[in-house]
Amino acid sequence: MRHIPEDELHAYLDQGLSRSQCVEIESHLAACPSCQAARDGIAALRDRTTALLSKLAPPRAFPPEFESLRRRAASQVSARRRRAHLAAWAASLVAAVGLGWTASFLLRPHEPVARLAARQVATLPVSTRAAAPADDRLTRRDTTTIQPTRRRPAVKAVAAKSAIALPRVLPPPALELSSIDIPRSDVGFELDGMWRTMSWAGAQAEAGDQLPHIDGLPVVQVQVQTSEQGKQPLMVVAQQLASGEVIRTIEGPTSDVSHLLARRAMSDPMPTMTLGDSAPRDSVPSDSDHTDRTMAMQRGDRMLVITGALPSDSLLAMIRRLNAEMRSK
Amino acid sequence: MTDELEQLYQTTYTAVVRFLYRKVWDAERAEDLAQEVFVRALTHRPEKPRAWVFAVAANLARDEARAAVRRKRHLTLLKADPVAQPTVEPAADVLVEHDERVASVQQALSTLTPRDREILLLWDAGLSYPEIATQTGLALGAVGTTLARARRRLVDAHDRQHTSEGNHAAHS
Repeated sequence: MRHIPEDELHAYLDQGLSRSQCVEIESHLAACPSCQAARDGIAALRDRTTALLSKLAPPRAFPPEFESLRRRAASQVSARRRRAHLAAWAASLVAAVGLGWTASFLLRPHEPVARLAARQVATLPVSTRAAAPADDRLTRRDTTTIQPTRRRPAVKAVAAKSAIALPRVLPPPALELSSIDIPRSDVGFELDGMWRTMSWAGAQAEAGDQLPHIDGLPVVQVQVQTSEQGKQPLMVVAQQLASGEVIRTIEGPTSDVSHLLARRAMSDPMPTMTLGDSAPRDSVPSDSDHTDRTMAMQRGDRMLVITGALPSDSLLAMIRRLNAEMRSK
Repeated sequence: MTDELEQLYQTTYTAVVRFLYRKVWDAERAEDLAQEVFVRALTHRPEKPRAWVFAVAANLARDEARAAVRRKRHLTLLKADPVAQPTVEPAADVLVEHDERVASVQQALSTLTPRDREILLLWDAGLSYPEIATQTGLALGAVGTTLARARRRLVDAHDRQHTSEGNHAAHS
């Protein structure tokens, strides 16, 4: 007669076996003192485990009224709808950058025009290394007549209807967009003044649909600086891309945001930040593809900024992803 | 009207908080996340709410842990810093002793493989074998094997630690 293996005894005591299996085990146990001893040992082991784990319990938590969760769920649904506007805002910003890319890719053979495109839409510093493969791809595409990229319809839908109507005519900038070069600092994103680090849920409860973020990316951290009463807070939401790079979306009063960016740039001995600079800039050779890129947009007295150490590839990936998301909506 | 979800909330909220606490090691955060789980359940209305709730809790905790790793905060959370322990107040002794007991179980739990730990915690949270199997993708027959190993390892790791700590304490 075969003895009962240890794992089956665990399953038996855990009531994880079928009725017929139980019957089988019980009839064996009744006749087998050694398996009885094994069972008792395992029962004691189970109790030990439960007792040990019970020490790892948080202080007794009193659940909040279920009604309050219901209200939260209801408000989240409506906030999600309202948030769609903000998301569209952020996405159109990025889409406009995408437009800049698309335009300059399509028009690269005509250098002066491309430069103009860069001037009008956005100047994204591209390291020479990153630019080279893009050119290759373009040349290949050139020989087979330029096909509008898949991205175009989405971009068009989001940014401006007149966007890429004629290939030679440059799209008017859909949004006031500027690219800012901030040197990468290894210390990370240091914030001065009184900041509160909040959980995503907590920040959402407080700021509701005002939280600047990009839908679909996991949120790493939310930092909020409350200013004087009546004034809207300055918010920094850190999110992570699939590549592991963290990008930050900052929203707040223009003065505060530019101050934040300026201060950050100043922490570097050689500040190269050029806020609102729309003049064409030759790409600066950098020793890393991961340079800090910042895109800023101003509307009224508010400023929205996306910043992070992004390789040009992942910036493109982000744009594609956002465009795909917009398409699916 | 009390719906099914509300009943589940009343009966499992504490278990969900505990489950999350053992992953994020922050009671307040565990409660926040647990509430978030139920808020999500209210909007999603899952078919099998109990299993769903724990699956979402596990996901939230995983996201949380990734973020924590990035912030390199987990080291300070897992390692009890003896220097930082309060030693002046007499009442602190009790607290320290309690903390040490907790830390030793925490330490023992950390020696388990992520999968074994997950299954042990799900079991301890009250999930059945079929529920655990569904959530973790483990074969139903393997749940008992895993639990057997996980229990054995937890207790062994804890006891081993205690004998060495006992020697240490006797020395000082």
